[in-house]
This record gives sequence, C-alpha cells and structure tokens, in this order.
Amino acid sequence: MMQATKTIKKRKVKGDAGWGYTFIAVALVIFALFTAYPVASAFIISFQEYKPLGSTFIGFDNYVETLSDSLFWKSIRTTIVYTILTVPVALFLSFAVAILILPLKKWMQTTFKAVFYLPAVASGVALSVVWLWIFDPMPSGILNKLIGTVGADNQNWLGSSSTAMLSLVLMAWLSSHGTSIIIYLAALLGIDNSYYEAADLDGATFLQKLRYIVVPCLKPTTLFLLVTGVIGSFQVFQNAFLMTGGGPDNATTMVGLLIFNNAFKYFEFGKAAAQSLILALLIAGVALVQFKFLGKEVEY
Amino acid sequence: MKRNSRVLASVLALSLSVTTLAACSSNNNGNNSAPSGTSSAGTSEAKDTITALLPPVSPTYQDNFEQMAKDFNALYPNLTLKIEPASWEDMTQKLDTQVNAGSPPDIAFIGSEGISKYVQQGMVMDITDAATPEMIGDFDAAPLEYMKNGNGIYGFPAYMEAHALGGNKAFLEQAGIDYKDVQKNGWTYDQFREAIKKGVVKDGSKTSRYGFVFATAGVASKDYLNILVKNAGMPSPFTTDLKYAYTSNNYLEVLKDVRQLIDDGSMPKELSSVDAGKRWNMFLTGQTMITGKGLATFENSANKNNAKIEANDGSAVQGSIKAEYIVLPVPSFLGKDPVTTVAVDGYVTFRGKKEPTAEHKANVVKAAYYLASGKVAATTNNDLFVAHITKTGKEAAASMIVNRNPDNVAAVQVMLSHAAPARPDIPVELGAKAIKLEDEVIIPKLQALIAGEITPQAMYDAVKKAAISTFGEDGVVKE
Repeated sequence: MMQATKTIKKRKVKGDAGWGYTFIAVALVIFALFTAYPVASAFIISFQEYKPLGSTFIGFDNYVETLSDSLFWKSIRTTIVYTILTVPVALFLSFAVAILILPLKKWMQTTFKAVFYLPAVASGVALSVVWLWIFDPMPSGILNKLIGTVGADNQNWLGSSSTAMLSLVLMAWLSSHGTSIIIYLAALLGIDNSYYEAADLDGATFLQKLRYIVVPCLKPTTLFLLVTGVIGSFQVFQNAFLMTGGGPDNATTMVGLLIFNNAFKYFEFGKAAAQSLILALLIAGVALVQFKFLGKEVEY
Repeated sequence: MKRNSRVLASVLALSLSVTTLAACSSNNNGNNSAPSGTSSAGTSEAKDTITALLPPVSPTYQDNFEQMAKDFNALYPNLTLKIEPASWEDMTQKLDTQVNAGSPPDIAFIGSEGISKYVQQGMVMDITDAATPEMIGDFDAAPLEYMKNGNGIYGFPAYMEAHALGGNKAFLEQAGIDYKDVQKNGWTYDQFREAIKKGVVKDGSKTSRYGFVFATAGVASKDYLNILVKNAGMPSPFTTDLKYAYTSNNYLEVLKDVRQLIDDGSMPKELSSVDAGKRWNMFLTGQTMITGKGLATFENSANKNNAKIEANDGSAVQGSIKAEYIVLPVPSFLGKDPVTTVAVDGYVTFRGKKEPTAEHKANVVKAAYYLASGKVAATTNNDLFVAHITKTGKEAAASMIVNRNPDNVAAVQVMLSHAAPARPDIPVELGAKAIKLEDEVIIPKLQALIAGEITPQAMYDAVKKAAISTFGEDGVVKE
C-alpha cells in the first residue's frame, strides 16, 4: 500500500514537472530567441569586423577603439547627467500624483490612471511631433509665446547647447509617468489601514504619516522603480534621435544614440556591439550599487 | 476536466512557440529568395522574379506600381517585377536591415552617395558586364558617372537634380533684385549678402520677413555647408590627389560668411532648429524672401498651393500667400567658379549572399533600365519637374505637358552645366571616414556655430584636428 502511494506521488511529481516545463516553454523560447541569442551574438560580433558576406576576427580592437573614443565618454557623461536629472524627479512626480489620486473615489482613480497612462500607449513619434511643436524655435512657438508673456527672450530650445538637454529633460518630466503611478498606487493600496488608524489615534499629521508610514512601506516599490528607471534612462534613445539628433555639438548624444549610429548609420556592428556590452556592464554595476546601498533596509 | 485544460493549455503554448519560429522562418525564406538568382533554368528565357524596393519618388509614383509591373511583364513575358513600396522615412532602415541580413532586394531606389557604403559591405552588384551598350548610351554621361564606384557601375540614375535656392518673385522684385540676371550669370557672396539684406522686413523690433532661410536641422543638416563649400573651390571633400579638402583656409572663410549672414540679421538666429518642413512653411507664409535648399519640385508645390489659395481651398498651407517660385543659383565664394551640388538618385542593383547567376543579373539590369528610362522616367521626372537624363525619357516626355516657368528651366540648365563632377575614384574606406567625420564633428560644430556658441575659427580648428587624426598630417590639404 505504502509502495503504491509512493509510486503515484512520484509519477505525479514527474508529471507536474513536465507540465510546468510545457507552460514556461513559450517564455523560454521567446527569451532564448530574442534575448539570449542576440546577447551571445553581440558578444561574438564585438570581436569582429562584421560584414554580411563574411566577418573578420579582430580581437579586442572594437573595445580599444571604443574606450579611446572621446565621443563615447562624452555620450556616457551626457547619459549620466540625463539620468540624474530625470529619474529622481520622475519618481517624485509619480509618487506625488499617486498620493493625490489615492483618496479619490474608485471611478475617479481609474479615470486619472487612464489619463496618466495614455502617453505610455501613444506612439513616441507622435509625442515627439507634439513636443517639436511646443519647442518651435520661432517667436510663434508655444513655449516661446509662453515665456514671452513674462518678458523673456525667444529661446532656440533644441538648437542651443544651453537649452537642448533641458528641453529633453522637461519632456521626460512631463510625460510617461503612467506605469510608475499605477505601480505606486497598487503599493499604496497594499498598506494596511491599521497603520493610519494608529497614527490618527496618536494625532499624526499628514506629513508625519507620509514620512513614517508611507515612505518606509513603499521602499521596495521605490527601489524597483529607481532601478528600472535608471536602466531605462541609460538606454534612452528615442527622444534624442527624434528631437535633436544628438546635437547641437553632441550636447544630447546619449550612448544609445551613439550605438544606433555606429550600427545602422556606419554599419560598424562590431563597434556597436562592443559599446552595447560596455553599456550593459555599466548598467549592471549601477544596479548593483543601488541594491547594495538602497536595498539594505528593504524588506519584501 | 482538469486534464482537458492542461492539454488545451499545452496545445496553445506549443502553437505560440511554433508561430514564433514559423514567423522567423518565413521571414528568412522571403528574404533569401529575393536577390540571389531565382532563375529556374540556365536560359535567358527562363522565368525569373526581380524584386524592387521603391519609395514615393514623385507624388504619383507609387500609384503606378501595378501598371509598371504589368508593362514590364508585357515587355519581358518570362519576367516578373515585384515591387515593394516603402516610405522615405522607412526606406533606409528597411534597406539596411535587408542588406545586413544578407538578403536585399534586387533593386532599390537610393541616392548615389549611398553606393559606397554598400560597396564596402560587398552587397551591391556591379552591372558593367550585364548592361548593354544601348542601355549605357541612353544615359547622359554626367549622371551615369555618379552610379560608379571604382571601376564598377552599380545601377542606373533616375535623375540629376540641382541643389539650388528658391526665391519669392514678388519679394525679389520689391527688393530690386534682378533675378533673371542672377539666373543667367550667377552671383558672388558679397552680391548675395547685400541682396538678402534688402529682403529683410522689420515689424518694430521683430523681423517679420528674413532675407534667407536655409534648413539646417534634421535630415537637412549636412546640406547647407556642403552646398556652400562646393562654390569655394572645394567641389568634393577630397582633392584629385585624395587629400581631405576641408582643412583649407577657404573652408574657414566660408564658415565666417555663414556666421556673418546671421549676424547681419538676414537669417534667423534660431536657424539651427529650422528643419526642411519649417523653412518651406516660412517660404509659403511669406516669412522669407529666399529659401534653401531649393529643389525643382518646389515650384510644383508652390503652384499647387497658389491654386488652392485662389480656389479658397481650406487645404492650402495655413497663413500662406501666393508665391511664384524662382530658381536661383548658390553664390560663389572667394572668386572661385560656381559649382552646382547635384543629387543623383537612381536604381541601385544589389546582390545577396549567393553569387547571382548571369541570367538573373541580366534580368535585374533589364528591370533597372526599364525603371530608369523611357515612359517611366519621363512620367516620374515630369512629376518632379526635373530634367530628363535619358534619350528615351526625353522622347517619351516630348508629348507630355509640364506647366513650368521657362526661366526656371533655363536657370537649372545653366546650373547643371557646371555640376560637381562624380568622384568614383575616392576609395570607399576614405569616403566612409569622411562621412563619419562629417557626422561626428562637422555637423555638431556647425550647429554650434549657427547657434552662436562657437566661433568660425573654433569650428575650423576642431575640423582640422579631427581630419588630421583621421587622415594623418599628409592626408589633408595645407594652405
């Protein structure tokens, strides 16, 4: 009897594992095809001078060339500046909006979530067209008209080194917070009401509740959004490509744009692959530092 | 029930995986079949399919694809011309992706300046031995040269278009500019500078009309300086002895002039953000007297907008005024002879990873020639208002009516008479280095110069330093 039960259990376990593998097959196949294979390919190509009719192995030349390229380092600096200026503000704005939406009725919450999420589903190209219109350099441009009302001079928003980066940052600040807002809202709804009730009994103010209940409880969410935000920001490409093309004087050439140019403009796929892998290492390093210093007090 | 659900879920999961793989697989098949000799037999009468990736070359070009394919098939019953349309925005990316996957179309419509990039990849097909003397003899010599690289011919040209300037006739007359004389005899930089000063109209402290606006942002970013320096003794980035030319002192002088026109107030200080669409809008709305770069088709575009304004059609450009488009040459600098920048676009022939068979190559050449000559070329070039460059195209166009200002036609002919010659002798590696230097140093620095952030001397020094680093001390012009 005992023997028979064991056999059934064993079969069941084996059977379950088989089903399990079947169910994750789709994800595995997609991961293998569209992530693992390209990464392995990029690694190999980074040691080659790539040509469709036959590539040549050139050792570490692409890495040496990349590391001695002043434009590569400038693009890294520009990307870091962009990240520092955009990610914390974007997190703060998302958090603030989520806090403002939280006390509303459910239908209003849903409406606001949809409104804030809308830019995430809109085409980036369409958004860029709108922003190009806003940043029109002539006096008839929307932003120029706006600053003209307070007597400020006409600005060449995207065409001047002093305002081009600011313009891209402004664009990042004012769009695409939908995902973060929804994640923050979900996390806020997960905080047990008893904490607020206890705080109310103690006479805590709104700001005290925010500081001692909300912020600590949202630490895992904030860390997640910070890490993914930094990763996304390091890979930013579209805004610079569509709005400034990296100019003026390479003031907005992000590393993602530089990699794109090397690959698809100059067909230097080997160099682009080497730069991509260096960027991946850099991102991994930054993420590790974030986890090490900010992840200490996070409890999941 | 539970078992049924599991089976159903597994089938769905497997279907998804298979679909993903099948999608990749069918893609590959489609690409591989295209370029590399699909002749089913070794005879020239065997059935064959030629693929072509074509953008909207003219406003009505893509509407005629079906007819073009039918007519080609009627001419060569064993051949099928399979045309894949692409937008201008997608064209380069689509083609580059196919080229790098090793499976490009047989024919693609691109600018001749792109040929060297594909020669370097080894993916273009030299048609020297497949093009018949009759085909070669049909083309004007100058544009055909642009389709060459080294000793090879990599397709047939569709047109050779002069990069000019365009003026508003009424504004030119108001400013007292004898534009007909300029069309015939050209003008110097000093004459041009004075002329565009007269075109400026102020409304209080604000400028309501500029003398000259040239698109310098976006895809037009490399045009401005390229067009100007050709008229300053530098018809190509390389001298005939293959030294990089933009380290010449003449280059510095042109940079000073670029800045001077903005400092005069004849051009907007926001010029670095003015793209091709914006400056055309400024021309049609009367915000500039002269615009650049000017293409022949702009006359057509201005005429159409004028007709809409006359008919009170709401689709006319908002705020636009009637503007008669006048073709003007680019001024010459430092006493040098004028040299017209030309765009030669055409049907470039590609090969796949496999060596194409002689039969397939001959068939591709037939298709490229069919597209670049005769009725197809005549219709397209008339639509674009550009000159015909084949004998068969000219014959076919003789019976077609084009509503063009004869003064403009004559002005273009004058400009084409001193068109910048093709430089198939420039090695592809050298050309590729020059393009990279232009993209990474010249254009960014020019944007900064136009925005008033650096001086002409600073830009010149940066270009010279980068050029020496790229081509070596002995690889650049020193004067």
